[in-house]
Amino acid sequence: MDDVSRTAKWIYGSAIGLLIAFMYLPMLTVALASFSRSRYFKFPIPDWSTEWYAKVYESLSIRELFSTSLVVAITVGVVATVIAFFGALAFARYDWAGRRIYQKLILLPILFPQAVLGLALLLWFTALGITPTWQATVFAHLVWIAPIATLVISIQVYAFDPAVEEAAFDLGATRWQVMREVTLPLLAPGIFSGFTFSFLLSWANFPLSLFSSGADSTIPEWISAKIQSGYTPQVPAVGTLTMAAAAIVMALGYAAFSLMAWRKSRLEAV
Amino acid sequence: MIVETAAATESAARTGDPILRLKAVDKFFGDFAAVDRVSLDIHEGEFFTIVGPSGSGKTTMVRMLVGMDKPTNGDILLRGERINDVPANRRPTCMVFQSLALFPHRTVGQNIEFPLKIRGVAPAERKARALELMAQLRLPDSYYGKGVLQCSGGERQRVALARALAFDPDILFFDEPLSALDYKLRKLLEKELKDIHRETGKTFVYITHSLEEAMVMSDRIGVMNKGRFVQIGTPNQIYANPVNRFVSEFMGEVNVVDVERGAAGSLVDRLTGAAYQSPAGDSEFREAALVVRPEDIRFLDHPDDAADNKLTGTIYNDYLLGSRVQYQVRVGSSQIFLVEKLREQQLDVARGATVTIAWDTRQSMLFATPSFTQSMVAR
Repeated sequence: MDDVSRTAKWIYGSAIGLLIAFMYLPMLTVALASFSRSRYFKFPIPDWSTEWYAKVYESLSIRELFSTSLVVAITVGVVATVIAFFGALAFARYDWAGRRIYQKLILLPILFPQAVLGLALLLWFTALGITPTWQATVFAHLVWIAPIATLVISIQVYAFDPAVEEAAFDLGATRWQVMREVTLPLLAPGIFSGFTFSFLLSWANFPLSLFSSGADSTIPEWISAKIQSGYTPQVPAVGTLTMAAAAIVMALGYAAFSLMAWRKSRLEAV
Repeated sequence: MIVETAAATESAARTGDPILRLKAVDKFFGDFAAVDRVSLDIHEGEFFTIVGPSGSGKTTMVRMLVGMDKPTNGDILLRGERINDVPANRRPTCMVFQSLALFPHRTVGQNIEFPLKIRGVAPAERKARALELMAQLRLPDSYYGKGVLQCSGGERQRVALARALAFDPDILFFDEPLSALDYKLRKLLEKELKDIHRETGKTFVYITHSLEEAMVMSDRIGVMNKGRFVQIGTPNQIYANPVNRFVSEFMGEVNVVDVERGAAGSLVDRLTGAAYQSPAGDSEFREAALVVRPEDIRFLDHPDDAADNKLTGTIYNDYLLGSRVQYQVRVGSSQIFLVEKLREQQLDVARGATVTIAWDTRQSMLFATPSFTQSMVAR
């Protein structure tokens, strides 16, 4: 019995180890490739260098890419969170005619192949005479990301007792005071994760940006274009920086959550 | 006494205008009348309890009274002013919710101070009032900064009550706040609530499905069924003179025997054909329910002892209910009578033993079963 369970543990442990290796080794490889002096990727790395990072830093066009991606991701994050906040209340809280259809319709864009969704949006932009720009990209991202943010915030809405809002209203609070004193603080963790999700999904999105951004290229588009022609180790360098930025956002989110949990535990421990 | 329809018995006449008056209030959900043409007066300083089974309309009723829902028809008057369309946040009343609805992200102190904060009371004054209420409700001062999620069930009840009292309402409503608590704590808090009612002198309107809970606390009780008040009266009136079978059964376990009218002043058991004396004399009805409380039935020492109504049966089962013992006595093949005795008066007989049970006619109650046409007329 003991042997069997030890074997099982070993298999289980290595499966997890392999899974993690498959997930993270390629990313590690990208990072390694960016630190190579050689123009072509060879392994083992013949000569280490940070010159490609210096070139990335000096390149105005790459700075432009980062700023486009950042502006798009922040705009999508904010707008998606606002839409999702009210959408989630409608989704999970209030009972109204058509709610079930709304709940299904809002989930549908998540399941569409993004390339098809991107193409459809491009056709519409053309039909409506909208020039593809970063603003069009924001719209394209929202179609896909706002539903996801809605789901994320809905989970938080489902978790709290609507009687709490009624009680605040009954105790004399106006609708606005109920929102500020009760609803927003209670939904804050959901709003926060909704924003983080939206930002990260927009930051990393390739297919929707490809169809909608026109001349305003985002980082994933640039990486894809450079892989096809004109590869230099600037590509893995930009890729590594992109990952690092996402990791920083996640780390900040995690830190903020830990801080909130710590303050809450202090509140409860007194 | 015989009552054919649900005529509500009002308590002794009171002086002064009622604090809350309902005039033919109803609430429809589609075609369904959750509250059906209810008129009611609640007096200043009264502890009034609305009691009824689930689906009786009591929750719909209290939601209209606090301003969460609007009546479909009728008027709700607070001190003579119509408040139908005044929303909950502009009414001088508030409610303790069934789930308590405490703010989970706030401390005990912040919860209690909430209504004062909304009104713009200065922090120092708020805190003083919160501590005062906490003292009154026996919550230690050290709880002021404690998160409400850290409090026990009983402590949360007290926080919710303190928050409602901080609002200083004209009428305080309660929507079954004690239903989730264990028996012992519920009994303790029922008594505390009655004490708080006396200390504050406020008007309390309490909703519950437990008539037992209503009996302990209330000045008056309104028993609801199917959207209407079946009976309104003091706990004593309702216990002593339930107006119909529903109220008598709602009060607790009772023996209900289906009877029909026999020869002058007598009743015939529709199941066994046994004859009983009628507590209502020779009145007009075809079928009725004869109700006898378990504690009003006694065991005869000798089967030949004189008694108004007598039956012979066997002890089928017995249950110890703490201070009392309940027996199931089987009469004939399928009729069971419940008999309750104090523990000291426990019978010294085994299950299956033959016993004779008896009751005084004046301790039984008779409720005519409304025939179909009669019930149509009554509506």
